[in-house]
Amino acid sequence: MTTEHLPEHPEFLWRNPDPKKSYDAVIVGGGGHGLATAYFLAKNHGMTNIAILEKGWLAGGNMARNTTIIRSNYLWDESAAIYEHALKLWEILPEELDYDFLFSQRGVMNLAHTLGDVRESVRRVGANQLNGVDAEWLDPKQVKELCPILNISDNIRYPVMGATYQPRAGIAKHDHVAWAFARKCDELGVDIIQNCEVTGFLKDGNKVTGVQTTRGTINTEKVGLCAAGHSSVLAEMAGFRLPIQSHPLQALVSELHEPVHPTVVMSNHVHVYVSQAHKGELVMGAGVDSYNGYGQRGSFHVIEEQMAAAVELFPIFARAHVLRTWGGIVDTTMDASPIVGLTPVENMYVNCGWGTGGFKGTPAAGLTFAHTIATGAPHELNKPFSMERFETGALIDEHGAAAVAH
Amino acid sequence: MLLFTCPNCGPRNETEFHYGGQAHVPYPEHPDQLTDREWAEYLFYRENTKGIFAERWVHSTGCRQWFNMLRDTVSYDVKAVYRMGEQPPALAEPVSNQPTSISAPEGAKS
Amino acid sequence: MSLLEKPYFLMPKGSAEMANSVNNTGVAALRRSPAEHLWTDFTVGSVAGERGVTLREVPFQTMVGIRVDPVSEAGVRLADVTGGLPVRCGEVTTGPAGVSVLWLGPDDFLAIAPGDAQDRLPGLLVAALGDGAGQVVDLSSNRTTFELSGPSARAVLEKSCAADLHPRSFAVGTAITTEVGKVPTPLWKTGEETFMLFPRASLADHLGRWLLDGLKEFASDRNPSWL
Repeated sequence: MTTEHLPEHPEFLWRNPDPKKSYDAVIVGGGGHGLATAYFLAKNHGMTNIAILEKGWLAGGNMARNTTIIRSNYLWDESAAIYEHALKLWEILPEELDYDFLFSQRGVMNLAHTLGDVRESVRRVGANQLNGVDAEWLDPKQVKELCPILNISDNIRYPVMGATYQPRAGIAKHDHVAWAFARKCDELGVDIIQNCEVTGFLKDGNKVTGVQTTRGTINTEKVGLCAAGHSSVLAEMAGFRLPIQSHPLQALVSELHEPVHPTVVMSNHVHVYVSQAHKGELVMGAGVDSYNGYGQRGSFHVIEEQMAAAVELFPIFARAHVLRTWGGIVDTTMDASPIVGLTPVENMYVNCGWGTGGFKGTPAAGLTFAHTIATGAPHELNKPFSMERFETGALIDEHGAAAVAH
Repeated sequence: MLLFTCPNCGPRNETEFHYGGQAHVPYPEHPDQLTDREWAEYLFYRENTKGIFAERWVHSTGCRQWFNMLRDTVSYDVKAVYRMGEQPPALAEPVSNQPTSISAPEGAKS
Repeated sequence: MSLLEKPYFLMPKGSAEMANSVNNTGVAALRRSPAEHLWTDFTVGSVAGERGVTLREVPFQTMVGIRVDPVSEAGVRLADVTGGLPVRCGEVTTGPAGVSVLWLGPDDFLAIAPGDAQDRLPGLLVAALGDGAGQVVDLSSNRTTFELSGPSARAVLEKSCAADLHPRSFAVGTAITTEVGKVPTPLWKTGEETFMLFPRASLADHLGRWLLDGLKEFASDRNPSWL
C-alpha cells in the first residue's frame, strides 16, 4: 500500500478528436457510466461509430468524487442481481481491459448499532446468501478480529453490535478505472470528446435525431444519457421529466498514513464509511445533504457529524487531519434504486438515479445500458429498473434495506 | 452551514431546520379520478430545478412552523422567504430576508 | 390576594379543581427530578470567581403548554390568567404569582410558574380555554429546568448552541427555542449572566453532563497560555 506499487501509465491513453458530423450513437456524459456504456456498445454490440460527449474533462464529475466502495450485498433480488453482476465484472475487468486499476477485495463491513440494525442485517445476509452473494454475519469479536482499530466497547453512543461482511467486496482506484475504460474505448474507435457541453436535442416528431453542443450540431441515431447529477437538466432539454432529485454528497480524505485499516467499514446508522486508499489516505464519506443542490458542495455540519462518528468508531483517527473535503451531485430516486431504460423520447435512453451507489454499479450499468441502446429493449438485469415502476408501483425500495450509505 | 431567516424567529443555523422539498405542489383535487401516470407524477415527480427553486422548510427546533423559500440550487443563496399559502415574490423586488435581531420587548422581565 | 388564590373571572363551578382533584402531597414527597442524581456533580463542577459559572437544576417547576390563536376570544381569556401572551419570537410575558409565558411559536406558548402553582394554574388555564379552539396541557413533568449563571455562562453555552447569544442579539428578558448540544430546548436569558434551559426529562441527564463538561475548562485558575 505504498506509492511504489502504483502502475506507471503512458502520457496519452486516448485521442482528443474533434466531433464528427454524425454518429450511430452519442453518449452524453464522460464519467464511469458513459465510458463503460461506450465500451460495451463497441465490444458486445459492434457499435464503434459512437461518441462520448463530456462537458468538462473525462471522469471529472462524480467519478472523481466518490469513495470507490464496491459491494453487492443489497436486499432485494433485482438489486442483488445487477450489483452482483457488476461485482463479477469488476473481478474480470482488470484483465479484460488490460489495466490494473487496483481492485482490492479487502471486504466490506456494514456495522449494526441497534437491535433494529441487527435484525435488518441478519435478514439481509440471508437474502444475499439465497441470491448467491457472499455475505456473513459477524459478532463484535469477529468484527474486532477483522478490523482491530474499531472500538467495539459497549460504552459508546452507537456500540457495535455486529456487522454484515462481504469478503469479495472492496475498493478500486477510481481514476484508473476511468482511464482503463477510456483507453479501451479509444482503441475500439470510440470518439471521446471533452469540453463539449450538450445544449439541446434535435427531434423529428418524438424521435431524437441529433444533439446540439457547444462544439456544433451532431447528428445521431441514438442518444444515451449518462450524466448523473444533471440528468433532470438533460431530460428537460429533451422534453420529458424524471423522478429524480439532485443532492450534494460529501466526502473527505486525511493526509497519508501507514496502513492501519485493513478493510472497508460502513455505518448506515451514523452515516459514515471509511477505508484507507492505496496511497494511505483515510477516505470517508457522509450521507447526502438534505436539500436539492447542484453546487458540488454541502454543509459543514454534515462533515462534522461524520468525523465525530468516525472518531468514536476509530479512536486512533483522533489525531489525523482532514486534508481535503469535496462534494458531488447525486441523482436520487424515491426508492433509492437507479433508472436504466427507455424514455418517452424515441431512440433516447437514460441511465440515472444511482444515488450514492453509482461507482460500484459502473460495469453493470455500462453492460445493461449498452444492451438497451443497441437493441432498443432492456437487458434482463435492468428490466426492473425502468421508469414505469413509479406508475406500476413495482418499486425496488432499497432505502434502509440495503444499508444505503454507500 | 447555511443561515436561514425563519419568518417567525429570524436568522438561525441550517441545523435547526428540516427540508420539505418542492413548494406549491397541491394535493390532487380528485385523487380517485387520476390515471396511474398522474398519480405517479403527484407521488414521485418533483421539479429538480438548477437555479432558483421554490421549496419548503420547517423550523423544527424553533417555532415548528413551515415556510417557503426561494433558493438558488447552484450558489445556495437564499433569495426570499415567505409564508405558507403565499405566492413566491417577484425577485425584481427587494428580497425581504434580511436578518432581524431579537431584541428585548418592552416590559420584558429582566 | 394572588391570582392563584382566587380566580378573578367567572368559571364553571369546580373546573379549576378538576385538573388536579387528587391530593398529591404524599406523592410529591416521593418525586425524583430528572437530574437529581447529578446535583452533587453540579455542585462540585460549578466554578467560583472571575471566570465562574454555576449549574443547578430547579426541579418541579409548573409548566403548561398552551396552543391557541392569541387574538381569538379564548386567547384573550388565557392572556387574562397569565398576564398576557407574548406576540413575537423572543418575548416573555410576566404575570401575577410568578407566571411567565415563553413564545414557542405564533400559536404555541409555554407558561412557567413556581412548583406550588401546579395545583391551580393548569386548571385555571383549562377553564379559561373553555370550549375555545386550542389546547392546554399540564407539561410540568415533561421538562426540567437548568439554571446556568456566572461570568462564563454565555461562553459555556456558546460552545454548543448555534444561536447568536451576544447581548446585542439576545438581551436580558428574551427567550428563544434552539438546540444546546443537539438537545432542543427553550433558552431564556433571565439576567445579564443567567440563562434558564428547559430540556425534556429524558434528555436532562445528557444535557446536564454535557454542560458539566463545558464548565470544566473554567475551573482552571488562569487563561490558557495561547490566549
